[in-house]
Amino acid sequence: MKESYRQTEDTDLVKASIEGDKIAFGEIVNRYQKMVARTVKGMLGDSVFAEDIGQEVFIKLYYSLSEFRGEAKLSTYIQKIAINLTLNEIKRRKRFFSMFSQKGNNEMYEYEVADFDSEEKREASEIVNKALMKLEPKFRIIVAMRMLQGYSTKETAEILDLPLGTVLSRLSRAQGQLKNILDKL
Amino acid sequence: MKTTDLKKLIVESLNTNSDSEEIAGKLEEEGVSFNFKKGFSDKVIDKIFSASLTVTRKIEFVKNMNYVFYRIALTGVAAIVILLISIYLMEGSVSINSFLGLGDAYDESIVCLLTGN
Repeated sequence: MKESYRQTEDTDLVKASIEGDKIAFGEIVNRYQKMVARTVKGMLGDSVFAEDIGQEVFIKLYYSLSEFRGEAKLSTYIQKIAINLTLNEIKRRKRFFSMFSQKGNNEMYEYEVADFDSEEKREASEIVNKALMKLEPKFRIIVAMRMLQGYSTKETAEILDLPLGTVLSRLSRAQGQLKNILDKL
Repeated sequence: MKTTDLKKLIVESLNTNSDSEEIAGKLEEEGVSFNFKKGFSDKVIDKIFSASLTVTRKIEFVKNMNYVFYRIALTGVAAIVILLISIYLMEGSVSINSFLGLGDAYDESIVCLLTGN
């Protein structure tokens, strides 16, 4: 068994992980955890729940590795799992809060202000978090893909399984909404 | 970066002709960064591999239960066959009455037995 997989290609890591190699799967987690964090925390807020969903993404990935054909990039495959689980969580919370809470959807999202080395960085993070949480989920996902992950519109459309036209129109509407939200912050 | 510049950058990141990768990098430099807590990877690995161990144990338990069930079922079937044979030999038939021990009993004798008269 290899001790280090830092230079190993994704496809080889997948093969080794399917055979039960912990270290290989650990390398996949290390490689893509930041990308998953941007999606999950960008959508759900920087909270403990987001950490749980992040873990669930990799657990689901592990058990579905045998279904990964290698036709798309591993990052795209992981990103799709992350988006599906996050959207499911949003739906679940929406149902829960509509049944048990009088306060509306605002309390559905929460974030903890992490430690930053400067006040400016803390403020920047807070502004982005607040703005994202005020957007509708269908716009928030597009903004997270574009603003946090840096994907092009074509890549965003591919990952979200949406026509390019839909992504473009949602992007334009999200930009309008975001501008209004930011003006009020 | 001033707050107003940051807000402008956020809105610009959604322009279709903007370099989203560059803007994402800039925002990260400004503190817009999302990470999981330390030890995230270890937690995931622990959950997966301890879960696999549990699954293996569950499978072994089910296998053992199946084995025990077959042993008990076979013994039970053998006991029933022996019982039926012995009833046939003693009563000459395997009707419900003979199975219940009422093969040669008359209705009157049953009534007497139940009422005590």
